[in-house]
Amino acid sequence: MDKAEQILKALGGAGNIVEIEPCATRLRTEVHDAALVDEKALKAAGAFGVISAGQVVQVVVGPEADTIATDIEDLM
Amino acid sequence: MTQFDVLSPVPGRVIELADVPDPVFAQALVGPGLAVDPDRSGPVTAVAPVPGRLVKLHPHAFVVQTDDGAGVLTHLGIDTVQLAGEGFRLHVAEGDVVAAGAAVVTWDPAAVEASGRSPVVPVVALEATPGQLGGLRAAGPAEAGDVLFTWAR
Repeated sequence: MDKAEQILKALGGAGNIVEIEPCATRLRTEVHDAALVDEKALKAAGAFGVISAGQVVQVVVGPEADTIATDIEDLM
Repeated sequence: MTQFDVLSPVPGRVIELADVPDPVFAQALVGPGLAVDPDRSGPVTAVAPVPGRLVKLHPHAFVVQTDDGAGVLTHLGIDTVQLAGEGFRLHVAEGDVVAAGAAVVTWDPAAVEASGRSPVVPVVALEATPGQLGGLRAAGPAEAGDVLFTWAR
């Protein structure tokens, strides 16, 4: 699995994603069910950190965020 | 080992990265560095903090990568991705090679603040370890082009 696939899976899969938006340093993701998000797996996929607030999960991946977001959108 | 200076991209007041109102920067998740609370005296032109290639260029943020692969992120304000480029004018294109101090983006920190966002500018040594940074400038006023810190790697 590549990084985008790993991150998508760790976010609970395509069905759990409401919205995913890249920023300069992170993927801003809104999910249906935050309980399906696996922070450990996100870090294993290469995330530097994960910041969660309710259904908004920010996956810190560094400046490659825009590329990864495009890859994830291609998988959805 | 190479060692180089990282310059302030904007005039303002130097603050600790920990004081940036955003957890990703405050916790140094993408790397250590400093931040500059920019002057609100009208439009300012943010300059490249190091010489190198613009490997990422968004209206509100850019990464300059030096010849030996060190990336420095300059982020113009917090949550400014939401402005979708409005009020940011680019002087260069992604992939361009720039000198330290070269004009990159003109923007208006006061307008960002008026939109309800912090205009603070984190300057981050991407994926550096804190021990690689030296000579960190103390909190206080700085001009664009003043040395913020030195990165040895």
